[in-house]
Amino acid sequence: MVQITIQIPGESGCCSEWAIIELQGALETRHPVPLSGKFIGDLHFTDKDTPVLIIGHHILQGKVVVLEKPLAVIVKAPDQQQSADLSTADDAHPKSKFKIKDTSYNIQAIIRRKILFKTRPKPIIAHVPKKL
Amino acid sequence: MSLSFFSLSHVNRSLSDINAILGFAKLDPSDLKPFVQCLYFSEQLENDSVRILEIEESVLETLQAGKRVTIRGSPFQNAVLVTESTTYDLKEAETSNSMLMIPQLSLGRDLPESGNQEIGIRKVTSVVHNYYELRVIKPRLKNMHELLKMSQYRGRECEGDEFEGKKFTLSELQNLVQASDQEILSGLAKINACEIQGYWRLLDFEYEATVLYHIIQLCEERDWLLEGVNMEECCQVLMDLFPKEIIEHVIQKHSDDEGDNSKSDVVRLSEDKICRHYAELCLRNSGKFNLNDFLRAWQESVPHGMKTNLAQIEGKALIDRDSRPEVIWYYSVENLPEDVSDRFEALFEQRKKWSLEEITPYIRDLTDDKTDAGALLTKYARASVQNGQKMFTSRKTL
Repeated sequence: MVQITIQIPGESGCCSEWAIIELQGALETRHPVPLSGKFIGDLHFTDKDTPVLIIGHHILQGKVVVLEKPLAVIVKAPDQQQSADLSTADDAHPKSKFKIKDTSYNIQAIIRRKILFKTRPKPIIAHVPKKL
Repeated sequence: MSLSFFSLSHVNRSLSDINAILGFAKLDPSDLKPFVQCLYFSEQLENDSVRILEIEESVLETLQAGKRVTIRGSPFQNAVLVTESTTYDLKEAETSNSMLMIPQLSLGRDLPESGNQEIGIRKVTSVVHNYYELRVIKPRLKNMHELLKMSQYRGRECEGDEFEGKKFTLSELQNLVQASDQEILSGLAKINACEIQGYWRLLDFEYEATVLYHIIQLCEERDWLLEGVNMEECCQVLMDLFPKEIIEHVIQKHSDDEGDNSKSDVVRLSEDKICRHYAELCLRNSGKFNLNDFLRAWQESVPHGMKTNLAQIEGKALIDRDSRPEVIWYYSVENLPEDVSDRFEALFEQRKKWSLEEITPYIRDLTDDKTDAGALLTKYARASVQNGQKMFTSRKTL
């Protein structure tokens, strides 16, 4: 059986808090190019703290939502040796033929809040300048 | 639905770019807070290496206390996530929405109300469409019982012989059983497993009966049935015959303070448990037994001074009061399926109609704080009144 451990790395037990922007559907470019490094849009807040997101020539209004349960962002820990207690247990009982696979994940961040844009984007009608 | 956007790749987005767009959108910058967060995909998007796990506050607290949680996979069932004490089912949930993970994102409140317009660059580290949900479940311990049955302990002289099956240490069990460590240990206690030289073992019934027989002989000799067993002396006397840990285990298992880990010097044997053992000894290999003959034989077999009664063998034997003569036979809840609907199927296969008193001992181990026997019966059985008595039958039409 595969066992995967998950932990908060380091001693302090704290990790950074991130947030999520949740959009309906998927983000696409006009041409299939890698998304890495690409600009997405501008996020404004009105004076009443309503989030407004402008993506290309679409405008979206959203709201800040506190998640019912926190989300943990986990990433595979860099390769490491099998944890000591498992290997000693095996040494003590060399008859053991059960292979122990040990994978480890670290918690990179905790997410407690998100900005949810659940309405349909409204188009911005304008002469779009030469190259936006 | 999809949002299309243009591939602007220069990072230096200017205030005039931003305000030009606001103008087209007919938004007045004075109605907005002056801090604008410009969102970019990170140069190293980690869509495939990142996993999102929805966790309970209590699990988060465990993690923040520096403890780990473990996912225990299985080729046959869903993976589970375990903390020290609890088991969670792990299920993947998918959403058609895009979730953009962003460090250092401001959610508005902490932004200044007024001042000069400023730009903050925010990087989306990954875009995810699925996450894992946790749900508390009962531990899946049945296969642990099956595993331990592979090599029951039959005595020193049988150890290492050709019939010996695979034996398991605790850390091996942790690798094979989908349950938390605490649940594994309490599960081992429940099936009366005994740790013998580092391996968790079940005692073969005949072997255990022999050990108990010697203990009771000694108790009768020294008048310990009334006064309690002197542990040390008992182990001393019987040590040549049986390993000390097994003598202790068998005494504890048949005492009133079973599960009490504080090892006292004097342990009182439980009348109910001793009587139950003798009933099992009687019924185990004998098929259907004339009830009256059984009651007589049973009472004669138990140590002098102990009194048998049928309540002692709840969940161990069934009685047919309609047959002539009345009969009793061995039917132990321990050998029934752990899964609730499988359990009910097995029970209704054994017997078409059950009264509440009859069926309760066979489903009690499936109940928890939220679900009592009545709730289980409502869900998995059909109730009807026959001759003034409420009876439960299968929900399945035959």
